[in-house]
Amino acid sequence: MKKTLAALVGVGLLAFSGPASAHFMMTYTPETVLEKAKDIEMRIVFTHPAEAGHTMDMGGVKEFYAIHKRGDSEAKKIDLKGTLKEITWKNPESSNKAYAAQIAKKDIKSMGDYMFVMVPGYYLEKEEDTYMQQITKLLVNVGGIPGNWNEPAGLPCEIVPMAKPYGLWTGNVFQGQVLSEGKPVANAEIEVEYMSHKPDLKKNGLAKKCDINYPNDVLVTQTIVTDEKGVFAFGLPRAGWWGFAALGVGPEKQHEGKEMSQDAVIWVQAVDMK
Amino acid sequence: MNKVLCPLALAAALALPSLSLAHSPIFDCSDNGDGTISCEGGFSDGSSASGVAIHVQDASGKVLEELKLDKNSEITFKKPAGDYKVMFDAGAGHQVTKAGKDIVQ
Repeated sequence: MKKTLAALVGVGLLAFSGPASAHFMMTYTPETVLEKAKDIEMRIVFTHPAEAGHTMDMGGVKEFYAIHKRGDSEAKKIDLKGTLKEITWKNPESSNKAYAAQIAKKDIKSMGDYMFVMVPGYYLEKEEDTYMQQITKLLVNVGGIPGNWNEPAGLPCEIVPMAKPYGLWTGNVFQGQVLSEGKPVANAEIEVEYMSHKPDLKKNGLAKKCDINYPNDVLVTQTIVTDEKGVFAFGLPRAGWWGFAALGVGPEKQHEGKEMSQDAVIWVQAVDMK
Repeated sequence: MNKVLCPLALAAALALPSLSLAHSPIFDCSDNGDGTISCEGGFSDGSSASGVAIHVQDASGKVLEELKLDKNSEITFKKPAGDYKVMFDAGAGHQVTKAGKDIVQ
């Protein structure tokens, strides 16, 4: 009886916590700047990173690749779908299917930018009877030579950074442009979250400890909008990982007869100036 | 004496890049494990290093090979026998040298 009650209370809490934090596709690796190429670990998880909350089934991974560019040399696509392994991601109160990838040193041997692109499947949000798909980008630099960090990947929708997403101090303003089929999206709504629970790649989960004392739900998920050129700006108040999700900006508006939100996500890493 | 002066001069040159060249050179090499060495170069601002001179030298500084980076700012050459070093030479203040012993797979 107690167990059932606890479970019910749990479900109730989870259901109520829905609006408070945003669904965020995470493509994560601990470091975005590598002095030299090495094997790197990645995790692909659909969760609520500000609250280590509900973890969702992203519906598989449709595409996972990196576009490498060094200086103005030719961009090269590196298919990484074969590196994916299904794992169980365990947050303190929720777990679900997720993916791990070990990117081999040989795949990122050359200096320059590696723009990791992850296109997940479709996630059915049962409460709202709608689908979600968050196309996610993450940039990693090797060796200090920049490349394609501020170039579009040619995705259905994406956020194109206007500052190196791997070269940000705490307090810097991160600017980006939201594109849908290559065109700027004015008045796009962007949710911003801080990864306030540290990912543990050995346990495959977000830590129980929250690094932030949130005074209210408004500050858990911040909302900003783009200007007429599709540009947004956000000051990064703390070192660590910041996720930006431009909601419903993609061209696909329906999936299997249901409404769908095709979102563009990018993660940036801010570092303290010491 | 020469040895001390040279790195100092290089450090000074790097510390005071001229305004027109406010980028720093970046150069790295790796051993392909098949008897060849591959190098790639560039600049911190992303500009091309295509055509930049590459000097392959032995331990005494004697030039073994004079090469140029290709259109992708890369080059592959036969690994020299014995000690060697590779210099990326984009002009004064824009030189980087890699010692053979630091060039690994």
